[in-house]
Amino acid sequence: MSQQEALSNAWQNWFRFSRNPTAVIGAIIVITSVSLALLAPNITTFPEHVGAVVDFRNRHQPPSAVHWFGTDNVGRDIFTRVIFGLRVSLLLAVVVLGIAIPVGVILGLLAGYFGGWVEIVIMRITDIALAIPPLVMALAVAAVLTPSLTNSMLAIALLWWTWHTRLIYSLTRQLRSQEFVEASETLGASKAHILFREILPNCVSAIAVKTSLDAGFVILIGAALSFLGLGIQPPTPDLGTMVASGASFLPDYWWESVLPGCAILFVALGFNLLGDGLRDMFDVEDVR
Amino acid sequence: MEFLGFLVRRLLWSLLVLFGLSIVIFTIARIVPGDPARMALGPTASAEQVADLQEKLGLNKPMVEQYGLFLTGLTQGELGRSLLTEQSVNSDIRKTFPATLELVISTILFAFVLGVPLGVAAARWKDRWPDTLVRAIAIFSAVLPAFFLALLLQILAGYVLNILPTTGRLPASMSFDADITGLILIDSLLRGRFDVMGEAARHLLLPTLALGLATMGQIARITRASMIDVSRQDYIEAARAFGVPDRLRMFKYMLRPAFVPPLTITGLEFASLIGNAFVVELIFSWPGMASYGIRAIVQKDLNAIMGVVMVSGAFFVFVNLMIDVLVGVVDPRVRIRGSRT
Amino acid sequence: MNTVQIFGTIDPAKISDYTDYMAAVNLYDGLVTVDGSGNLVPQLAESWVVSDDASEVTFTLRADATFSDGSKVEASDVVYSFERLLRINQGPANLFAGVVEPGNVVAVDARTVSFTLSKTFAPFMATVPALMIVNEEVVEANLGDDDGQTYLSANVAGSGAYLLDSWDRGSRMIIKRDPNYYGEMPESAIDEVRWIVTNDEATVRALAASGELTMSSQFQSPDTYAALVDMGRFRLVSQPTATAFYLKLNSQLAPTDDVHIRRAIAYATDFETIRDVIFPGEPMTTVLPEAFADFHAGDVEGPSYNLEMAAAEVAQSAYAGQQIPLTLGYVAGALFEEEISLLMQANLESLGFVITQQPDPWNRVTEIASQVETTPNVNQIFFGPTYPSPDSMFFTQYHSDAAGTWASMEWLQDPEVDALIDAARATGDVAEQAELYKQVQRNLAEQMVSVPLLAQTVQHAMDNCLEGFNAVPMQSFDYDFARYSWTCM
Repeated sequence: MSQQEALSNAWQNWFRFSRNPTAVIGAIIVITSVSLALLAPNITTFPEHVGAVVDFRNRHQPPSAVHWFGTDNVGRDIFTRVIFGLRVSLLLAVVVLGIAIPVGVILGLLAGYFGGWVEIVIMRITDIALAIPPLVMALAVAAVLTPSLTNSMLAIALLWWTWHTRLIYSLTRQLRSQEFVEASETLGASKAHILFREILPNCVSAIAVKTSLDAGFVILIGAALSFLGLGIQPPTPDLGTMVASGASFLPDYWWESVLPGCAILFVALGFNLLGDGLRDMFDVEDVR
Repeated sequence: MEFLGFLVRRLLWSLLVLFGLSIVIFTIARIVPGDPARMALGPTASAEQVADLQEKLGLNKPMVEQYGLFLTGLTQGELGRSLLTEQSVNSDIRKTFPATLELVISTILFAFVLGVPLGVAAARWKDRWPDTLVRAIAIFSAVLPAFFLALLLQILAGYVLNILPTTGRLPASMSFDADITGLILIDSLLRGRFDVMGEAARHLLLPTLALGLATMGQIARITRASMIDVSRQDYIEAARAFGVPDRLRMFKYMLRPAFVPPLTITGLEFASLIGNAFVVELIFSWPGMASYGIRAIVQKDLNAIMGVVMVSGAFFVFVNLMIDVLVGVVDPRVRIRGSRT
Repeated sequence: MNTVQIFGTIDPAKISDYTDYMAAVNLYDGLVTVDGSGNLVPQLAESWVVSDDASEVTFTLRADATFSDGSKVEASDVVYSFERLLRINQGPANLFAGVVEPGNVVAVDARTVSFTLSKTFAPFMATVPALMIVNEEVVEANLGDDDGQTYLSANVAGSGAYLLDSWDRGSRMIIKRDPNYYGEMPESAIDEVRWIVTNDEATVRALAASGELTMSSQFQSPDTYAALVDMGRFRLVSQPTATAFYLKLNSQLAPTDDVHIRRAIAYATDFETIRDVIFPGEPMTTVLPEAFADFHAGDVEGPSYNLEMAAAEVAQSAYAGQQIPLTLGYVAGALFEEEISLLMQANLESLGFVITQQPDPWNRVTEIASQVETTPNVNQIFFGPTYPSPDSMFFTQYHSDAAGTWASMEWLQDPEVDALIDAARATGDVAEQAELYKQVQRNLAEQMVSVPLLAQTVQHAMDNCLEGFNAVPMQSFDYDFARYSWTCM
C-alpha cells in the first residue's frame, strides 16, 4: 500500500466517521472526559478538596457560581470531586482493559489459529467463565479481599478477558482460511508472524469497537462496586461512592448524588456512542 | 429425535459449566486470607475449638480432596453454615430465593411486554420519531447505572410524589405466608387474597422498573433490528407483492422469526440483570437472595457468599438453557446447528 | 420504628450489642428490670433479699409468672438459664463469670432462687437484669448438639410481653403482644412492633411519608429529623443519656502506644464542631458521663481543641520529626462517623500524620477488635452502661480482664487501673467507690487512652400519639415496648 493510498484511506475513514452523528458525539464526550480528568488539578476550582478537607460552615451549599455542582456534607466542592472522580473511573477502565485485552486477544488468536486441544481447553474455559454473571463474580472477589481500587480492578479484570477471547477466536477462525494467510503459510512465514502480522491487524477494527463499548461497561461495574463500598476508600473521590453517600441527603440536597450519578452516565454514554458509531463505520455488525 | 439429541447435548454442557463454576468458586474461597475455621468460630474461640473444626471441615486434607468434599456437599445441597444468620446457607437461600425469582420474572415480563412492541413500532416507522425515541431509550438505558436509576425512582415515586411503596414486598402491616410457590403475587391469587395481591403488585413496580429498563431497551433495539432484517427477506417481499395486508404480514410472517434474536439477547442480558438485582434489592430492601448476598459480602460471610454466587450462576445457566430450548421450538433451524454458545 | 443495624441474635445467652438487646428485652423477661433513673424494679421476681455480707441474694418469683406457652416460670428455669449462659460463655456471661460459679445458683423451692457470690461484688444487683430467663422445657426439647443455640437463634422460649411474629433477617422483625402476658401493661398498650432495618435516610423518610413509620431510630441525620417534624405527624424527643461517644486509641500499637501521640490526637479533636454540627451531645470531661453525678471526677479538666498544643505533643513524642502513619477506624455506612473521621484526618494531616481511613461494617469491627494488630489506632465507639452501675463503664472498657472486645479497643493493660476497679467492686461503701472511680478517671485522663467526645443526646422522631420513651442507663432497656402506649384512639 503506497503512502498516498494509505492517506486517502484514512481520509475516507475520517469522512465516514464525521458523517456519523453518534460516533462524533461519543468521541466528543470521551475526549472531553479524558481531558477533564487529565487536567483535573489545573481546571478545578478547589483541587485541595480531593483530600480530607472539611469546612462545615459551607456544607450542603446548592450549585452556585463558586461551587458549580454545590458542596457535600463536609463542605467540599462537588465539581472538583467529580472531575477527580472521573480520573478514578477512567483509570479503572484503562487498567482493566489493559489486562483483559492482551490476555483475551492472545488466547483468542491461539485458540482460533491452532485449533485442536489448544482450542478445546481455551474455549471451554472461556465458555465457563462467560457463564458467570460478571457483577456477581466481581462482588464475590472484591468481597473476600480488602476493599480498594486495586482489588476492584483485579475483580473485574478476572472475568473480562473472556469476551475478547470469544471475539478474536471467531475472527481468527474466519481469517485462517483466507488466501493471504494461506499464502504466508506456503511461503514459510513463522507462526508468530502469521498471528501477529497477518491476522491481528485484521482484527483491529473489531477490537477497537469492543474496547470502546467495554470501557463504558467497566466504568459502570466499577461504580456499582464502589456504590456498595467495595471500591476505593474515602477520602479519595469516586463517583459511585459519591452517589452512595449523597443518597442520604436526597431529595433536599439532590446535587450531592444526582450530579455524580450524571457524570457516570455521561462517560459511559460517551464510550457507548463511540463504540456504536465505530461499529457502523467499520461495519462489524456482530461485535457487542 | 433430533430435538431430543439437542436437549441432551445442551443439558450436558450446562452441567459441565456448573462443574467449572464450582472449581472457580472453590478456588476463590481458598485464596481468601485467613482461616475459615477461625472465621466461623469467631474471636472468642480457643485454639482447640479451631483445630476441631479444621478437622471436621477437612481443612488439613490435600486441596483435591477438599474440593471433592466441597463438590459432594454441593450435590447434596449442603452449602455450610452462615456466620450471619447461624442457619444453614441452604435454608437461607431457600427462604430468600422466591422473592428474587418473583422480581426477576416480573422484570423479564415487563421487558418483553414493553420492549417487543416498542421495537416493532420503531421498525414499522423506521427513521421517524418513534424510531428515534426507541433508539434513544435503548442507548440511555444501557448506560444508566441500575443503582442510580433505583435511587432516582425511590426518591421521585416514593418520596416526592409519594405514590408507590419503596421497601419490601408488602407493607409492614400486612402479613402473608406465601407457602405454595413462594411468589406472593401468585399465592395471593390462589388463596383469593386480592388485597395482598394488589399491594404485592404495587411493591413490585419500582424494583421491576429499576431492574428491567436496561433489558427492555436492549430487547426493543434487537427487535427493531431483526424486524428490519426480516422485512428485507424475499418471502416478505413476495407477500407484499401478493398483496397480503400490512398488518397480517407484520404479525404473521415477520414477528415469529423476528422473535428469536430478542429471546437470545435476554439470555445474555440475564447476566447483568442478576448482577444488578444485587444493588436494586439492596436499595428497595427487597428480602431476596441478592440482598442476602450483599449482606454476606459486606460481612465477609464466606459460606453464604459462595452459596449465593453458585446459585446465581446456576440460575443464569438454567435460564439460558430454557431460552435455548425455547429458541429451538420457535426456530427449528437452531436444533440442527446445535447449541448457541 | 426503624433501626440501623441488623439484629444479630435473639438468643439471651448471646445478645451483646444495642440492637440485640432491643429485641431481647421485649421477648424475654428477667428477674428484675431497670427504670429511667437506673433503679431496679421487679419483673419475674416480686421481691429479693440481700444477705448482710452481700454474698447471697434470694429472689422470690411471682406466683402468676408464666412463659408464653402458658407453663409456670419456676426457680429451676432461672438456674437452667444461668447455667446455660455460662456454658455458652458469650453475651452477658462475662458479667457473671468469676462472680457466681455454676452450681451456686440454687432453686430453694419452686418460687425461690438464691445466688451465692464467690466474692464481694458491689455491682452484682445491677447486672441481674441482663440475665433473661428461658423456658427450660422448651429448650431441652430442642437441644440439638449445641445447647439449643440453633433453636433459640430463630425461636423464642421466654416470658416477655411480646411474641416473635416474624423475623426477616436483615430487613424486618415483627413482634406481637402476648395476650396472656402475666405482667402489667399500660392502658392502650402497643399491640405490635415492627422494626424495619435500614440505615438509608431516604428510606426512612419514604416510610414516614407513607405512614409506615411511628418512631425513628436514634441515628438519623438532623435533616431527616427536621423533615419528619415538618410532616406534622412527628415530634422530636431528645433526652440526655449515660451513653458516651469516644475515640478509643489502641495503646498497644504504634504510634498510639506513645502517650504524647495520644494527647496530640486529643488536642487535634475539634469537639465543638463535632457536638454542634455533626452529632448532638453534651460535653464530656472524663471517660465517665456526668449522668453518674456521684462518681464523676469534676476536678479533671477535659481535653480541648488546640492544634499548637497538639504540635508540641507530637514534638515530644518518640515519633517526632517523621511522617507518622495512623489508621482511623469507623463504622461503615454511618455518615456522621465518616464526617468525624474526615475532620480528624484534616487536622491530623496538618500535624504530619499520614492517615488511612478504615471503615468496617459493625460485625467486622467486633472481629478486628479481638486482636491488638487488627485494631485500628483510632476508633469511634459508643459505649453506654450495660448495667446501671459505673462499674460497667470502667470494667468493660478499661480492665485488662475485659480486653479484646469492641468496648475495650484501647487495649489498656494497666495494673494500677485494674487494682482500682477491683477495689471499687469489692467494697459496698458508695463514698469509697466514688473516690476510687474518680482516681481511675484522673489516671485515664493522664494517659488519654480514650478521648471523650460527647455524652450522647438521644433523639427520636416519634409519632405524636406514641408515649413512653425514657432513656434507661442500661443497654436498650428503653425500647421495652411494654412501657409504651398509644394515646390516640
